[in-house]
Parts: sequence; C-alpha cells; structure tokens
Amino acid sequence: MGRDDRYHGSRRQVLRAVTAGSVVGVTGLAGCVGDPEEAANGEEEFDTIELGVLEPFTGPFADLGEERTQGTELAIEEINESDEFDFEIEYETYDTQSDPEDALSEASEAVQSQGAQFLTGCISSDVALSMNDFALDNEVLYTPGAADVAITGERCNEYVFRFETSTAQIAEAMAQWTYEEQGDQIFYHLADYAYGESVKEEFSSRMAELSDDYEEVGETRAEFGAGDFEAYITQIEGAADEADAVVIGSTGEDLTTFLSQAADRGLPDEIPIVTTTASFTPVRAGAGDAATGVFSGVRYYPDLEMGDNHEFVEAYEAEYDELPDNFSRVGYDSIRMMVRGIQEAGSDDPTEVADALGGLEQETIFGSNEFRECDGQAVNPVWMGELVEGDDLPDVEILMEIDGEEAIPACEETGCER
Amino acid sequence: MLGTAIQQLLDGITLGLVYVLLAAGLSVIFGVMNVINFAHGELAVLGAYLAVAITIQTGIGSTAFVAALVIAPFLVGIIGVALERYTVQPLYGRNPLYHILLTFGLVLVINDLVYLIWGTGSFRLPRPEVLTGTIGAFGLGVSSYNVFMIVSGTLMAFAVWALLEYTKYGLIIRAGSQDRQMVRNLGIEIDRYYSLVFGVGAGLAAFAGIILAGNRQANPELGMSIIIPAFVIVVLGGLGSFKGAVVGGLLVGILQESILRPWVPWLEGMVIFVLMIAILLIRPHGLFGTELAEEGGSERLLAGRAGGLLERGTRLKLGLVMVGVLALVPIVAGLLGNQFWVTFGSRVLVWALFALSLDFVMGYTGLVSLGHALFLGLGAYAVVLGLIHVTSSVFVALAMAIALSAAIAWIVGFLSIRVAGVYFAMITLAFAELYYNLLYRLEITGGSEGIGLIGHDYYYGIAGLGASLDDIAFFVGPVVLTGHSLFYYVVLGALVASYFVTRRMLQSPFGSVLKSIRENEERATFLGYNTVVYKRRAFVVSGAFAGLAGGLFALNNAFVSPSAAEWLKSGEVIVMVILGGMGTLYGPIIGAGAFFGLEQLLTHYTGRWRLVLGTIFVLFVIFLPRGLVSVPTLLAPYLPGGPGPAADPGQLPEDAGTEGDD
Repeated sequence: MGRDDRYHGSRRQVLRAVTAGSVVGVTGLAGCVGDPEEAANGEEEFDTIELGVLEPFTGPFADLGEERTQGTELAIEEINESDEFDFEIEYETYDTQSDPEDALSEASEAVQSQGAQFLTGCISSDVALSMNDFALDNEVLYTPGAADVAITGERCNEYVFRFETSTAQIAEAMAQWTYEEQGDQIFYHLADYAYGESVKEEFSSRMAELSDDYEEVGETRAEFGAGDFEAYITQIEGAADEADAVVIGSTGEDLTTFLSQAADRGLPDEIPIVTTTASFTPVRAGAGDAATGVFSGVRYYPDLEMGDNHEFVEAYEAEYDELPDNFSRVGYDSIRMMVRGIQEAGSDDPTEVADALGGLEQETIFGSNEFRECDGQAVNPVWMGELVEGDDLPDVEILMEIDGEEAIPACEETGCER
Repeated sequence: MLGTAIQQLLDGITLGLVYVLLAAGLSVIFGVMNVINFAHGELAVLGAYLAVAITIQTGIGSTAFVAALVIAPFLVGIIGVALERYTVQPLYGRNPLYHILLTFGLVLVINDLVYLIWGTGSFRLPRPEVLTGTIGAFGLGVSSYNVFMIVSGTLMAFAVWALLEYTKYGLIIRAGSQDRQMVRNLGIEIDRYYSLVFGVGAGLAAFAGIILAGNRQANPELGMSIIIPAFVIVVLGGLGSFKGAVVGGLLVGILQESILRPWVPWLEGMVIFVLMIAILLIRPHGLFGTELAEEGGSERLLAGRAGGLLERGTRLKLGLVMVGVLALVPIVAGLLGNQFWVTFGSRVLVWALFALSLDFVMGYTGLVSLGHALFLGLGAYAVVLGLIHVTSSVFVALAMAIALSAAIAWIVGFLSIRVAGVYFAMITLAFAELYYNLLYRLEITGGSEGIGLIGHDYYYGIAGLGASLDDIAFFVGPVVLTGHSLFYYVVLGALVASYFVTRRMLQSPFGSVLKSIRENEERATFLGYNTVVYKRRAFVVSGAFAGLAGGLFALNNAFVSPSAAEWLKSGEVIVMVILGGMGTLYGPIIGAGAFFGLEQLLTHYTGRWRLVLGTIFVLFVIFLPRGLVSVPTLLAPYLPGGPGPAADPGQLPEDAGTEGDD
C-alpha cells in the first residue's frame, strides 16, 4: 500500500476503501475478515437525542465552564418542555479538566457509552481543537466554546459549528474603534501562546488596512499563566509616550492579574488599555476596581436589545439568580441552533444534521443568525465597550457596535475548506 | 531611560523578596528534616485564601488586611504543624523521596480543598487605601503596594534571620541542618523541633502567599505557578541554607524581572532551568549549601512484595489469565455494544506501559525521576511529527519515538546520574520543564494548539505492507473488531511484550546488578561494578519504553499538545507506580488500572476527585508504601488456612531483601 492510496481515519472512508477492494494483504489474515460497515445501524425514528456536555469543571477555566453549562442546561430545559420539537434532549456532563487527553477520553465515553451524537463545550483552544478532530473522526456534531480562529479556520471541518464569537470577529470592533478613537501607534502585550498570537495577527492586519501610518511601537510577551507582569508593565510605561494604545492579547487569570498589577502602577492613566475579554464577568469580578477605565471588545452583554435576548436574560435570572454572561449565551444558543438543525434535517444522524445546519437562518439572542455554510461560524455582531464603575463589579458601557456581516471575515479568507 | 531601569530593578527586588520568603521555609525544612515539601506552594495559596475569608467573606473588607496578614499565617502555621505531626512524621527514617511523594499527594488534597471551599473564581484582596495607587518619587511613579511588599518582605526575612541567628531555637535548627546526628548526640531532641520548623515554614509561605495575592490575585492555580521557581531557588542557593534562599530568591527575581523579561524574553523559562541544571551539575549543593545533604542510601525505597504469597508458577498462570481477561475486553464491549471500555482500556494500558517504564528505573535502581513526562512527550511528538513529515508507517514512527527517547534519556542520564537522590529528582524535573517550555516555542510542534493526526494517512505495517486499523475488521461471533478495538490489541501487545522484555532484562546479570544497586549501591561498587554506567543503562531502557508509551499515547488520542509533557503527568505516573507497588513491574500496571478506575468512578459523583485520589495516595504512602501488590501478603495471616510464607514475609525467593525497614 503506497502513499498514493488515501486512507483517513474516518469510518466513512473505510467503507469506500473496503468496497474498492484495496485492502491488499489483509484479507488473508483470518478467515473472518470482512467489511466493518456491516455492523452499522440503519435509520430509525427518534424521540430523544443524546448530548454530551464537555466542560472544564476543574482547572483554570472552571468558572467559565460552569457558566456555560448553566446556559446549556437552560436551553435543554426549555426545549424539553416545548411542543415545538418532536424529541427530547438527554444529556450528561463530563469534566475535560482543561486537558486534551482527558477531554478526548471523556468525549469517547460520551459517544461510545452514552451514545451521544452531539457534543458541546470546551473553553480553551487546544482542547477545542482536539475535539474538532474527534468530531470529524467520530462523525458527531460539535459546538465549541473557544475563540481560536483556527477552529472555524484552518482546522475547521463539516461537523463543527461555533456560536462563540471568534477572535477575528472581535478584532474587527477593537481595531476600528482603536483607530478612530485612539490612533494607530500600537503597543502589544501578548500571552505567548496561540490565543495571544492570533489577537495580534487579527488586530494588526485590520489596523494595517485602516491606516497607512499604522505602526507597532513595541511588544511584550508573557508566558501563558505567567502570574506576574510587573516587568512588562514597566516596559509598557516606558513606551507610553509614543504609543496611542496598548492591546492586550490574553484572557482568564492572565488578564485579571495583568489588570490588577497595571492598576496598582497607574498604567490606565498613562495609556489606553484595549483588551479582548475584560468584559467577561469573571474578569470584571476578579479584577474589581482595577478593571475600570479599561476598554474591551464585547461579545455579549445582558442589556442587549436584540432577538429574544430579553426572554433569555429573564429566564436565566429566574433560574440562576444572576445575569448571563458570554459563555452562558454561547451554551444557550449553541444548543438551540443545533436543535433547530436536527428538526430541519428530520434526523438524528449528525452528518445529515450538519448538512441541514450550515446556512440555516434562524432566530437567536442576536436576532436572525446562521452558521455559515463555508466555515460553520455564527455571524455574530460585536461591540466595543469601556468598563465603568458599577455596584458590585464594574459595568460595561457600550461605545460602538459592528454588525455580524461586517465583523466576520470573508469565506475565502478563513482558510477553511469543508 | 534611567527611570525605566530603576523601575525594572524594583520589579525584580519585589518579586525576589516574595521568592525569598517562599524559598526560606522550603530550604530550612529540607535542611533540618530532609523533607522536600511539594505542598509548599499550596500552603501559600491556603494563606491567601484564608486572607480572602478574613477580609472579604467576613464583610470587613480592607481594614482587616493587616489582621489577615497576622492571623492567616498563624492558622496555616498550625495546619503545618498538624501536617508534620500526622503525615510527615510517620515517614522519618524512610528514604526522603517518600516525602516528595507524600507532599505531592498533599498538593492534590489542598488544591482541591481550596476549590471546594472557595470555588473556581479569583479574588482581589482588598487592601487599605494607603497601600493602593502610586507614590511619586524621583520622577518615578512607584506602586505603593510594591513598596509595601519590599518593606514587609525585607522585615520578615530579617526576622527569620534573627530568629535563626540569635535565638536558642535558631541555634539548634542551624545545627540540625548541618548535622542532625551530632545534635542528637549532644542530647538535644531535634525531632521535637521538626513540627516547629514545619509550622514556621508554612506560616512564612502563607505570608508570602498573602502579599503576593495582594499584588496579583488569589486564585487556586497560584501555588502551581510559584512552586517550581521556588524549587529552582532552593537548588540554586543550596538545599538547607537560609542565606542561599535569600541570595537565590533575589537573584532569580532580578534575573527574571529585570533582565530576561525586558531584554531577552524568549529565553525566559529556559534560562532558569538551564541555570538549575548547571548548578546541579557543577555544584549540586548549591551556592551556599555547606555539604551534600544526607543521601537516601541507607534508607531504601520500599518495593512491593506480592511474590511471597504465590508460587512462581501460579503467578505466571495468574498473569496469563489477566492477559486473557484483558484480551476479551473488546469482545465483551462489542457484545454489550459499549465501545467506551475499549477506548478507556487503551488509555489505561498506555499509562500502564508508561508506569512500567518508570518502575524499571525507580523500582530497580532507586532513581526517582520527577520528569518522566519528558519521555512521554518526546515519544508522542516523535510519532505525530514522524507520521506527518517522515513516514506513514506507524511502526517506523514508533521506532523513531523509541530511538529518540532512548537517545535523549542517554544524554539526560549522562548529565544527571552523577547526582543522586533528591538532586536527581530535581534535575530530571528541570529537563522535563525545559522540554515543556520548548514545545510552546517551536514552530513545528504547533505551540499551545498542538497538532492532530486527522487527515494524515498512516498504516500499521512496514515498507508499504500493512493497513490502517480502520480498514481491517475481524469478526468474532457477532462482534466486529476494527479501528479502536484493534488499536487496543496493539497497545496490549506492546505492554505484554514490554513486560516480558523488561522482566527478561532483570533476570539477566544486568538485572542482578540493578537490584544490587537498589539494595546497596556502595556494596555494588565494592564488588567492582561501575554503578553509574548501570544506572544510566537502566535509565535509557526506561526512557525507551516511556517513549513507546508516548507514541501510543499520541496514536490513541490522534492528537498531541504540550500538556503531554507537563510536570503533573510526571507526578501522576509516580502515583500509579506507588499505588501498585514499585519494583515489581506488574504492580505499576495494576496501579494504572486503579488510578483510572478511581478517576472513572469518582468523576461521576464529584468534580473534586483529586481530593479523594490525593487522600488515598497519602494513606498509601504512609500505611501501604509497598502498594496494592502487597495487600495479599498483608491479608494472608487473617485468611482461613492462609499459606505459610506470610508468617515470614521477609524471606522471599526472588525479592530477598525487600523486608521492611520502616
């Protein structure tokens, strides 16, 4: 068998290979070698679908995983109570522990033990990307939660549909606002891993399009999970006179700690701090006062007057006694959109659902929306906001809105082939 | 420009002083008790969270900050005393490596307790108005909290120094860290001071944790991020030396904040570990350590000893039955229609192989590698990159993984095996961390996103002959064995083969030398064996099998990311070896099964399964250090008609010399 023969990991291609009779030298191995597809089931009526909810309930993203699961569970509850659908969702939760190996093991359990045809979840990019591959290999539909561009970009596949707003989309709002309000001399502070890198890439390419004079004044890179940013803050302070703004490409604990230390040093008074995710509730709660005066791309805010967001917020508050945040809405509408795809396909077969779901126009908390056929990315609007003093934690004041079509990169620029 | 330089120096001193406080406790605890306390970082976190409880959760707020700074370290000090009294004390007289194992278990327990009590979010410690904002001085805007950190850190360090230098307690502690036996001979009960030292060390860590949390955030991961630098500092300064901790702490702080980060950021994370390796090689006792700390030579590691209960023939049969049962797993899973047991089984078997490889070096030569994940990661990346760039034959890729891991093991072994005991543990940890950092930085490894095998063709065979596992199917009755099920057999085959190969090696003259090294290295040397060479060979064998495990690990996941080489993985595999019983080869296999079985069972009930795992592990280290395989022997006297050997468990035909010395 030479390298010309195309063998992929998926069961479907196995069938092709086997029927083409190209399994040379294997058939003789045992008397009972044959076609693996014989074991496959035919189509049948369904009144339940099995969903695996894979979230990091332990580890650095645990609070986000918890938050997202609340949204997911709310959607499931509503769907199971509603007459609109002919089926109910059964689900189980699995702890990915923010580790790809654990996540893959848990995903296998969901698919093989629980019989899940649909998977949702994962916050960090490496885990979500490993799940991307898993979904393709096992032919199950997957709705991730990470913002990494590659998920619906270079490493996309036809089983992955993302309601989470990608870094490319959020960078659109950040770049436009920064250019218009602050200027084009930019200092970058990045967490030195894929996320930080993609923030810079997306932001700077948009900046270069907007302004001919765009210049990168300087850059600092901190290890992922560095825990201490004093040295970088000193460098940013040193460049504060030349730079119009500092763009922060980090999230989670990296961002909260950075903001805390930056506030102690008075950095927000010296240079505007532009972030991707300071608007997240855990960041605002963690950084507290230190987050006020910081600018942030906004993927979602509860006061939003769009689609059925108002109903969502009310239901969410009634259920959990708190306001929903970005990941709650990702969990919530990932499930609702997926379920409408199942309804449309009239099948619980993930491949058929995936075919039906791509490009299916539907009502979401962002109003009319769809997972694009070309890359499976939802066409979400994005905002730019400033964190201002609030009661318990800083509030997000919206400064600017960019609608979904404008924010999303053109299909041919995504690098996604599916 | 000058302002920036001064600010950078201040940054370095601020962080350095926190490191000093952390490392001082760690170092003095080691000096006096020979205990490497992995849980030191978690004690700092505990301090920070108790401060959160005192300031935020009581509703008092920032005015309670100073109170928290006093009360929380005191409470953590008491916890430290209790930990020493009830967990560390039963281990005195054993090899100091057991303390590493014990405190690793405590890391799991304390970390999960913090999650359990305070949840997953992070907290910003409220601080008094005076300590927030900036102070203008010499044209610089210096953060007043940083000034506070420098002042309080210096005062605390001076207080500890004065305590050590000018009090009777300090005198005894200093004497104890130089020569414990001598102090005992003088009629001083040094053991009574142990609890005190541990308590004070814990309190210092808590103090450092609080002022650090005030500067950053109180979050549960804080401990993990400071424990490794703290170890580097202790090694740099010299285990057991307070002066070393001060100089090392400031050195690392300034190096990190004032030099590496501003000027050569891409070297950060590498320089520190290279420095640590260099120090360990050139001056293992560190810059200020007066002498090499007592070696664990006289206090052996405790190997499992199940052999005594069963005849050799019976054991072989039992083993074959086990393999038979394992071989039936995919078929039973097929009959039940639940493929998960196959996937789960593959994972357990891969880890079993990894644990077996560690046991070969740890259980038979007494070298505890704290960085074995290095080889798992090497094997994993070698297979994935090999399949993508070099070959499409899995067997060739696995061979590459084995060869690469063996080669790196030889280099690491060449450099590390000249140091022994805890120094060896530290140096392997440093190598693993170096590799882990490298994975994030290299282009070819895909950085933090990792790389997947999906979309790449590969087959099981060689020179073009062979097939992808998904293309082959075996029909056993109504069950179809294909894909994952076949991969399961690949892993099972690899494990069984590795077991027999390593067993054969141990029965050879080479193996006898290894065992004699474990029992008494000095005596082996006197017999004319160059023990360093034998240990290095054992390490290479171990690395090769770990590389194989890594390759299978990557194939099983069809994906690899840097987390394959993180130090927690090294810790987990040690847990498996100890759970099962080291020095038996099959014990670690049982240990891997128990580890994942427990995880599988517990995660259904609680997200905090590590708490239970950690507790069980701690209990094992204290009460059952020979692992699960020793359970039959322990139970034998109580069984009706129990066989004779139990009456005299020390005299084992194969494992003579495993009798307890605890």
